[in-house]
Amino acid sequence: MSEDSFLFIAVFVVWAALAVVYATVPLFHMPEYAVVWGWGAVIFLVLGVLAARRRSRR
Amino acid sequence: MSQNGLVSGVAALPEADKRLLKLFFAAALGALGLGVLFGASTALARAGFVDLGPLAGYRAMSGHGVTIFFYWLYFAQAGLLLALAAAYGAPRAGFALRPLAASGVALMAAGLAASLYALYGAMPLLYDAPPELAREPSPAVAAFYAGYLALSAGLFCVAAAAVATTLRPLARGESWSVASFASVAWAGLLMVTAIAAFTAFGPSLMWALGLGTMPTNYSTAWHVLFHNMHYLPLMATVLLWYVLIETLTGVKSILGARFSKIVFASYLILVPPTSLYHMFLEPDLAEPVRVVGSLLSLFISVPTVLVFLVIVVSLEAHARAQGAQGLFGWMRMLPWRNPAMSAIGFAAANLALGGALSFVLIQEKLAPLLSDTFFVPGYFHFLTVGTVTLTFLAALVYALPALTGRALGQPGLLRWLPPLATLGLVLFGTAGVTAGYLGVPRRVLDVSYAGDAPAAWGTLMSIVGVGGLLMTVALGLYVLVLALNLLPLKRGAGAAYPEVRWGGEVALDARAWTGPLAIAVLLALMVVFSVGAFELMKALPLEAIGGAAHH
Repeated sequence: MSEDSFLFIAVFVVWAALAVVYATVPLFHMPEYAVVWGWGAVIFLVLGVLAARRRSRR
Repeated sequence: MSQNGLVSGVAALPEADKRLLKLFFAAALGALGLGVLFGASTALARAGFVDLGPLAGYRAMSGHGVTIFFYWLYFAQAGLLLALAAAYGAPRAGFALRPLAASGVALMAAGLAASLYALYGAMPLLYDAPPELAREPSPAVAAFYAGYLALSAGLFCVAAAAVATTLRPLARGESWSVASFASVAWAGLLMVTAIAAFTAFGPSLMWALGLGTMPTNYSTAWHVLFHNMHYLPLMATVLLWYVLIETLTGVKSILGARFSKIVFASYLILVPPTSLYHMFLEPDLAEPVRVVGSLLSLFISVPTVLVFLVIVVSLEAHARAQGAQGLFGWMRMLPWRNPAMSAIGFAAANLALGGALSFVLIQEKLAPLLSDTFFVPGYFHFLTVGTVTLTFLAALVYALPALTGRALGQPGLLRWLPPLATLGLVLFGTAGVTAGYLGVPRRVLDVSYAGDAPAAWGTLMSIVGVGGLLMTVALGLYVLVLALNLLPLKRGAGAAYPEVRWGGEVALDARAWTGPLAIAVLLALMVVFSVGAFELMKALPLEAIGGAAHH
């Protein structure tokens, strides 16, 4: 995994964790936050995978 | 002008891509020009210099926010993102997915047209457009939300095209440069913001079309979107500093590409955790969430401060290697006669002021007291005009001649526009923040209250008006000079902007204290502004809790 890919995967992990918190923890329950950070997590996962896949075609 | 990544990359683009970028930048300058006119009208009305009446006054205020915060900042970002994505990758190959990028600019332009139609076809909704302000569904209200959604869809298209463009070097087995990596991060956040816009404005559009009920959760969805819209222009700003400083001086980070990439990634890491402070005005927000949000919000400026440090430390170390003497002697060696350097220098100073003041507003105890006062426009113009706009204009000063092949007119004048804008901003911001501390309300055109308001309020708003006029002159001249460059007028090659070439390796143990010293000054300013605000608020004979207001 390239460092670029690793950094985007790290972003994915943080965003996904926060989306789960906003979706499931009653104190923080804000579905709008969960939706946005959740989709954001997916986007950064895709960017991380794209960076890794392209690099592996060297 | 230097032949490096930005300039040579933009110049090497295929003609079709250059035409597309010219469209983005023409639309950006058009939106900026309109927004400046709306802003000048608002400032003059607020100062009491002209009487626009409530309807025209609120149209001007709404038009200012819509054209500047949504269209100028995002047309400029879209064009600059595409330019960087191609210039630092494979510029001769041009944009990947060009039709998608072209669809993006078309959608964004349609959004601007719809927003302008709505401004004059409905009651002005202010730029945050809460549905309860419109009260009744109507085609014009629907056009307002449809305009924002078209803008968002266009931004998503442009960001996707930019990501596809940056992938080309990877396909050849190369790794991303710092600029390419940061461009992908920027594009990703633009895509997320487009999704956030759909969660905020989609249900409102359905309601305005008579196809749904009025959304009950608009403010929460708006706050998520608004948080991203804070972050994006600042992230773009520091990336442009990074790129432009290399263009102006040849200096790259002495801390290495990996560290710079980690810093840009930290922007993304910190976007969601720092978002809770926007909810401080919601009265039903649980107290533990307020405390957590207050603590997390302290991290909001960390990535920006880190990029600033990387740039300043790298510049100072290289300048000392060139023989600079004294604590600040190295700064005199920078090419200040270059209009882009002048803009970046004033942008950094304005960011320090705006950033320090912003920490007053994101504190849980002060937010309810200040959020609906003139403190808010007083501080955020340091960021929107003084930092982001000056930086975007600095980037256009380099990008436009590379696109058109024509030198900019009036380079001597351009050098003096950043200090002129900053002078106006200091008047506007100082009087505005003071007015906010003294209770002058935000979004109220006439603060005289039939003579019952304190006399100081009127004086301060007059200073705000004068400051607004100076900013109008500076930004208006910028728009004129840059827009003329887009017209196919004959112009010679022009004189080169002054630059320095400090590239090469320097020792990591070189002395470079200015950056850390600047951060210490920033922290001191934050303490002074916050303590001052607390003391002032404690002296007021009132108590406030959240009132579900809108930033």
